[in-house]
Amino acid sequence: MRTHALRYPALILATAIFSLPTFWVLVTSMKKQSEFAGLRLFPEVPQWVNYQLAVTLADFGRFATNSLLLATSYTVIVVVTSALVGYGFARHRGPLRDQLFIVVLAMMMVPNVVLFVPQFVVFAKLELTNTYWPWILWALGASPLLVFLFRQFFASFPRELGDAAEVDGAGPLRVFLQVFVPNAWPAFAAALIFAYTWVWGDYLYPILLLNDANTTLAVKLSTAYADPHGNPLQTVTMAGVVLYVLPLVIIFFLAQRFIIKGVVTTGLRG
Amino acid sequence: MVGTAHALERTAARPRSTWWRRRGTRRALTFYAFISPWLIGFVALGAIPLLLALLMSFTNYDGLNLDYVRFVGADNYARAVNDPDTLHSMQRTLVFVGSTVTLGLVVQLGAALLLDAPVPGRGLFRTLFYLPYVVPVVAGAWIWKIFTDPNGGLLNALIGLVKPEFAMNWIVEQPTTVLVLFTVWALTGGGMVVFLAGLQGIPAELKEAAQIDGAGPVSVLRFITLPLLAPVILFQLVVSLIGAMQIIQQPLLLAPGLLGPGTLPPRDNYLYVVHAYHEIFVNQRFGYGAALLWILFLITLGLTLALVRSSRRWVHYEEAQ
Repeated sequence: MRTHALRYPALILATAIFSLPTFWVLVTSMKKQSEFAGLRLFPEVPQWVNYQLAVTLADFGRFATNSLLLATSYTVIVVVTSALVGYGFARHRGPLRDQLFIVVLAMMMVPNVVLFVPQFVVFAKLELTNTYWPWILWALGASPLLVFLFRQFFASFPRELGDAAEVDGAGPLRVFLQVFVPNAWPAFAAALIFAYTWVWGDYLYPILLLNDANTTLAVKLSTAYADPHGNPLQTVTMAGVVLYVLPLVIIFFLAQRFIIKGVVTTGLRG
Repeated sequence: MVGTAHALERTAARPRSTWWRRRGTRRALTFYAFISPWLIGFVALGAIPLLLALLMSFTNYDGLNLDYVRFVGADNYARAVNDPDTLHSMQRTLVFVGSTVTLGLVVQLGAALLLDAPVPGRGLFRTLFYLPYVVPVVAGAWIWKIFTDPNGGLLNALIGLVKPEFAMNWIVEQPTTVLVLFTVWALTGGGMVVFLAGLQGIPAELKEAAQIDGAGPVSVLRFITLPLLAPVILFQLVVSLIGAMQIIQQPLLLAPGLLGPGTLPPRDNYLYVVHAYHEIFVNQRFGYGAALLWILFLITLGLTLALVRSSRRWVHYEEAQ
């Protein structure tokens, strides 16, 4: 009980400090632009109109659709391919299996930029820049992190699972689809969220590979909100930031358990 | 067991089957069929690009001169060692990595220790610590820009309560401080979850036994919890180190003013990968940039190995039974 009494104020203080920046975004998003630099900490009247402006000024719908399209196509494909590969490593045997798995792990360590530079040159040669094809190709090649996640998950299933179905004459793919996939939905949920969050939040690849018209919300948000003189509109920007983050926060609340389980399963951060 | 015997019998009944019908071969084919997406992807998007990046680093490739590109030997590497921008950016990167990794470890471990008890509202606290981890970098950078804004920022307002008339344009005058705080804030959730998992693996009896022997909370932490958590701490340090060495989006996005493809962060936040990015995509020095990135890879590898080696003195794995 004594430790409790100390722990609680410490927790509240730490959480409060930690949440200050987030809290400030919400406050700023409801100020008038003229109140931004003022002495008052809080807006006199909450300016919900900022949210409306954030949508119209940035052509929010269009770039949100781009983000949605890109993130959804990448996620669906990468989760399927990574699950197949992770399952293969966990439940099937073949020559060089362990060595190949070490290569999967090693690929997680290679700096992404090192791979990206030559990839970029090839994508440009094949005229795949300004399209979503690079993401589709990355997804088809599976993600080492997600392969690792699925492998750990499928390896934790009891040995007998699948044996019975195999004896009944089901092929390997049917065993995977009918026995393993229905039992693996926490891994699928975690993988979906990791992949989706990565594309939705990524700034670097869209700015290097896409153009002003088909780029994502992440890129648009970094430049969209300025008055005609080029001065930044901080209050409207904050409303845009809130709208941009909101889908992820909602997904996070719905699927918290899976994210945390996924992180613990791989021992890695998404 | 019945199934296995049955299967063996079937194989035995056809000893002269052709090679592709043999059980081992079919098993191997099934395995390779399952992993084929990754295997093909690894060759096309991993191995070949790595080889190209290595070749590129020995050429004068600029993104356009593919037809008359030539090998320049180790010139790019020699140039990197003598480039003041490279040395400056590496120095700033080491400052950033050192502060982020150590402060990050303290905050992540602290949050996990505070939450490793049945306190009321534990789920809510955990969520609040985890939340920044799901906030994308673009949004996170905006959040910190506004939080530290000289005019409308909360940070200066709070400091102003203690020190009236306090004015500091943080992202211009103290860009690395903001970058470190932003990064630590954003990554706390991920590390905290890893440490919480590690803490749950420590048997409660050990702590109870120590408490019965009269150990206070500090002694329990120092002599029981931290030593048993050491493998997890090492893992987290390695992952943070590798991630921090490669950081690029955060310094670019924290740059003052409106951003464009050629925007550079303030000199203090001109980190190594920012430098490589600038050389490649703005100055079109692909060969030189590739060399810079290989040097980074080697330095990161060296630091990681040094960390792992030093850990022999402070990480003791439990004997495998």
